[in-house]
Amino acid sequence: MRKADPGGGEMSRTRTKRTASGPAVATIVMLRLYIASDAPNSVRAVANLVAICNEHLQDKFKLEIIDVLETPLRAVTDGILVTPSLARVSPSPMVKVIGDLGDKRTVLHALGIGESIE
Amino acid sequence: MKSNPRALDRNPVGQESRPGFDGRILQLVKSVPELRAIESGQVDAVVDPATGKAFLLPDAQRALREQARVRSLLALSSDWCWEQDEHYRFVSLSGTTPGNSAPGYEGIIGKLLWDLPFDNVQEVDWDAHQRRLQWRATFRDLELRRTDRAGGVRWVSISGEPTFDEQDQFMGYRGTMRDITLRKQSEFLAQKPIRLACDTLEALAIQVCVLDSFGTVIMANKRSGAFAAGTRGIGAGVPEGANYLGVCDRARGNERADGVAIAAGIRQVIAGESPLFRHEYVCNSPSGRCWFNLTVTPFPGDGATRVVVLRENVTERKRVDGAARAVVSRKKAAERERGERVRGLDHRVAKGRFIANSLLAALPRKDTQDLHAGLEPVTLTCGEVLYEPGEPIRHVYFPNDCLVSLLATVEGRDALEVGLVGREGMVGVSLALGMDVSSVRALVQRTGTAMRMDAAGFRRELRKSLPLQRELYRYTHAKLAQARQTAACNRFHVVEARLARSLLMARDRVGSNQFLLTQEFLADMLGVRRVAVTKAAGTLQHRKLISYTRGKIRILDRKGLKAASCGCYEAVKDL
Repeated sequence: MRKADPGGGEMSRTRTKRTASGPAVATIVMLRLYIASDAPNSVRAVANLVAICNEHLQDKFKLEIIDVLETPLRAVTDGILVTPSLARVSPSPMVKVIGDLGDKRTVLHALGIGESIE
Repeated sequence: MKSNPRALDRNPVGQESRPGFDGRILQLVKSVPELRAIESGQVDAVVDPATGKAFLLPDAQRALREQARVRSLLALSSDWCWEQDEHYRFVSLSGTTPGNSAPGYEGIIGKLLWDLPFDNVQEVDWDAHQRRLQWRATFRDLELRRTDRAGGVRWVSISGEPTFDEQDQFMGYRGTMRDITLRKQSEFLAQKPIRLACDTLEALAIQVCVLDSFGTVIMANKRSGAFAAGTRGIGAGVPEGANYLGVCDRARGNERADGVAIAAGIRQVIAGESPLFRHEYVCNSPSGRCWFNLTVTPFPGDGATRVVVLRENVTERKRVDGAARAVVSRKKAAERERGERVRGLDHRVAKGRFIANSLLAALPRKDTQDLHAGLEPVTLTCGEVLYEPGEPIRHVYFPNDCLVSLLATVEGRDALEVGLVGREGMVGVSLALGMDVSSVRALVQRTGTAMRMDAAGFRRELRKSLPLQRELYRYTHAKLAQARQTAACNRFHVVEARLARSLLMARDRVGSNQFLLTQEFLADMLGVRRVAVTKAAGTLQHRKLISYTRGKIRILDRKGLKAASCGCYEAVKDL
């Protein structure tokens, strides 16, 4: 499972473009954010993601925040190695973004709503 | 976080040791984007799938340790601490006490402070706040109000300071938030009585002024102003800061006297010489005469001397009272007129003076009507002799507040009192028993009024009225018993006890603790020489039971006097 991860970032972006042609925003976007407690990058990631979602998805998203220090096994089963990491669970396929999500365009791209804004 | 690629896995167990740590990361993380993220310091923790555990990178570890330290300090002074990024968006909010999960603030992350539903801050104030943030200024105790889901009002106080990284780059704000709802509530409750009192004062139709010890008005209710427009008069509309005493002192013309009186009264209350000063005065306003009632009392509470001046417009009350009095007096006049016409009564009798005699008062109303027709009020002066022994009785007397002594005279000796008649009885009972000649001397001992009736009229009334007969027989019996008791008393008891008894009897008959009795009369009463009276009276006075100066007797201690008297007083008192 983890073997597929390397390069997943690049691949997922291409896939996202394809799915974005459909009405991605109409369906509810399920997101999982893996964080490490209140560590600086983690709190930034949460703030950035919430701000982006509130702005672009309004109520059309569901966000689950997973603290890997408390439940590391969730990360293991989801194939998450480093935190903070954002995973789009649905619509499939799964997309991952690593880091504090400070780059808004990358995040929107990953969420599959980049085009709809541009 | 800067990983060091040269450091290799020499100590895979020691997480704190940096070279081993780096090696471990390199073992776990193989993909380029993740390694790149770690290189750029954007990663906090790495999950080890082999052990199923996550471990923090050194930078994150340090940051969390620092955070924990700061928070434990903040916990001492606040309920929550928060952090904002460089765009002032909340990135974290955590309760510093266990179980304190910032209710109502779940949605705070990612938002700006001024986007939160606080309702007590105006747009202008938020602009000012944002300017402060742009200057990177620390803000303290910003008090914000919101309504929670249950409809309750919650208050928080929020403080914050800017944070900078090692390169002095602005990173955002961090700070604390405290729930101050309870404090606000108690503040409100504490202010409530004051506010209530102020509202009440404003609503009163009374002017209220509080003066300091110099007479300066330090507080006045608005009514003072309202009154000033409509009416004149002293004390109308004295504004805060003016001197009330000065205003009174400056009063001229018709108001001069009132002004002086009021100023003097206020000064007395300020000086503590008087606990209350009242003054009623009239003033002429364009709308007519106005009456005012002015009350000055000390201001309750400790500290500086203050007085309260209440000025009430009592014009309405006066008018109503005046009208009511006019109605009553008209009614009374009508009644009096009717009474005089029907019964031919002397108007002085109609005034109720006859009631003072308890023998007359005890008679039923219908019997007294005819009796009253024959009664005439007279004033009896001290020393006046009503009857002499052996002389025919021409009048009977019902004393109101005079005192008549009945004296038995013995040939060659002084007289001896055998009876005392006051408001409880009648002089001339022999007539009631069928004798029209007096057997005693009736001497007026105390000036006062009495109702008089001629003997013929009395006999006629007596025949007609059964209640009058009954009352008189009862009274005669009491009189006889009293005479018998007095005779025995005079024989056996000491002068002092007898004097006490006589004084008590006189007191009952006069209805007052103070009366005039000459020593001669007292000597007659007791059948002793004047010297003995002086001596006995001196003893009673010494025991502080009576005071006796120049015939003026005052009973000081009735119970004590009773104890000093012989039992004869008690024996005849209730007859």
